[in-house]
Amino acid sequence: MEIKQISYAYDRTKQTLHSISGRIARGKITTIIGPNGSGKSTLLSIMSKNATPDSGQVILDGKSLQAYRAKELARKLAVVHQHNVAPSDLTVEKLVGYGRIPHRERFASGSEEDQQAIEWALACTNLLGKRSKTLDALSGGERQRVWIAMALAQKTPFLFLDEPTTYLDMYYQYEILELIRRINREHGMTVVMVLHDINQAIRYSDRIIAMKDGRVVIQGEPEQVITRETLLDIYGMETIVRTDPEAGLYIVPVGLGHVR
Amino acid sequence: MKRKQVISLIAVILLLILAFIVSAITGSLRVTPLELISGLLFGGHEQVEIIKDLRFPRIIIAIFAGAALSVSGLLLQAVMRNPLADPGIIGVSAGASFMSLLMATLLPTLYFFTPLFAFLGGALGFFLVYALSWRGGLNPLRMVLIGIAIHSVFSGLAQALGMQGSSLISSLTQMNSTLSMKTWSEAETLVICGSIGLVLALLVSRWCNYLALEDKTARNLGLNVNLMRFVISMIAVLLAAVATSVAGVFAFVGLLVPHIGRLLVGSDHRILTPFSILAGAALILIADTVGRALMPPHEIPASIIMAVIGGPVLIILLRKSERIYGN
Repeated sequence: MEIKQISYAYDRTKQTLHSISGRIARGKITTIIGPNGSGKSTLLSIMSKNATPDSGQVILDGKSLQAYRAKELARKLAVVHQHNVAPSDLTVEKLVGYGRIPHRERFASGSEEDQQAIEWALACTNLLGKRSKTLDALSGGERQRVWIAMALAQKTPFLFLDEPTTYLDMYYQYEILELIRRINREHGMTVVMVLHDINQAIRYSDRIIAMKDGRVVIQGEPEQVITRETLLDIYGMETIVRTDPEAGLYIVPVGLGHVR
Repeated sequence: MKRKQVISLIAVILLLILAFIVSAITGSLRVTPLELISGLLFGGHEQVEIIKDLRFPRIIIAIFAGAALSVSGLLLQAVMRNPLADPGIIGVSAGASFMSLLMATLLPTLYFFTPLFAFLGGALGFFLVYALSWRGGLNPLRMVLIGIAIHSVFSGLAQALGMQGSSLISSLTQMNSTLSMKTWSEAETLVICGSIGLVLALLVSRWCNYLALEDKTARNLGLNVNLMRFVISMIAVLLAAVATSVAGVFAFVGLLVPHIGRLLVGSDHRILTPFSILAGAALILIADTVGRALMPPHEIPASIIMAVIGGPVLIILLRKSERIYGN
């Protein structure tokens, strides 16, 4: 996937994204980081065709996103959004089954292939035992896994996640991140996600895109991107960036760098 | 289907049949249920024939108006993702009623096209509510408040028309709120347009389920959210308009019936829609029968019975069902 000089204004007075370019590497996990309002979620929604850029384009498999039909795109790219709603009496299996919508002809019912995809998605997310539970009977972490399972059932080569760990406690956060890594490693899915936690971004990404004020400040491997200078620049935070023989690269925020 | 859903569906079918029989034998002309059934099946019973001519149009109108209005409410709730949407409250029915009155005033010769004008009026009301409450999304509270404002403007205009219009119009405004003096031709309009709308509503029940997801989520599943919204809205307006143009404005039906439905059969529209059709039909038929039976020979319009009973029932349901809608 290639991003070519995307510009976007949320309203006329304020430009949200300024001529953003970049490339999403196949089979890798790419994480977008940046402070609130830096445009990372906006960029993700443009990359998933939930917003149309004012100029520039996103190319997926040699074709502009704008040229894709909705169903066709939904067979290439699945998105787990930050905020999700569904009727509380819907069962896990039914919701995960919604992931098969892009593969179905209108008014047709489920095929053998649909059922296999649903089984696979439930197994990946460790939800086989919860399949007939309703959504209101699940914990926050389980519910997030159901939304990921729905995206997996789409059987797409690309998976986008917008802040998948928000609202979850530490255990569930890492459970989700480990799950994402496993899906990436075992099934070669290309993952793009937005994260807030820098240490999580370092640990679970192959590449990081750092944004500030609607521009890409730097992109590359975690070791190249996450430096004291970058973090001071984009977050205005003083940090200590260290490499530990066991923990690898990590950061500790130690104070405010300058007034934002 | 789960057991509770099956039981609920069977119960509401029985209720509708019971309401039908009671309604048919209630009134100044009396027959026993047995006479009614045999008269209907084999013919030849004089009084049953009279009942067929006089009461049946009214019963059929009550059944279809109830079904149409509850499904209209259900569809609007799906489209606006808001349990408070009801054609009789947010201006769709009032728009339909105003427009058909206006056309009856200006172009009385086009009386035949009343349902069409009602549809245009209902669509206008819906469009105004939707457009005026849209601000990057639909806030449930703002939508209902704007809907109430639109509703009162349209019903005010309709009343004003009734004040100064011809005697035909003032009789129209009065008759609109009751089901008495209904003829077979009016029943026919409602049955034809209503059936079309109800069948369409059943066909789009899966779409209604999908609309319960966030727009973004639905879009990334390859669904055309705007198209689904538009089609479902138009079906809802059609149902509300045709019911209003024949039976008048009813509040609460579109709110109450889907609400009971969600408590009993859950949120899956593939079951909720048929349930709402049956329950809505039974509810208005019961309201109309009660209104006829309370103090004969006077009649209390079904819409008034609905308002008086519907209000408290809704309050009780809302207090009981916090789990469904949360805070």
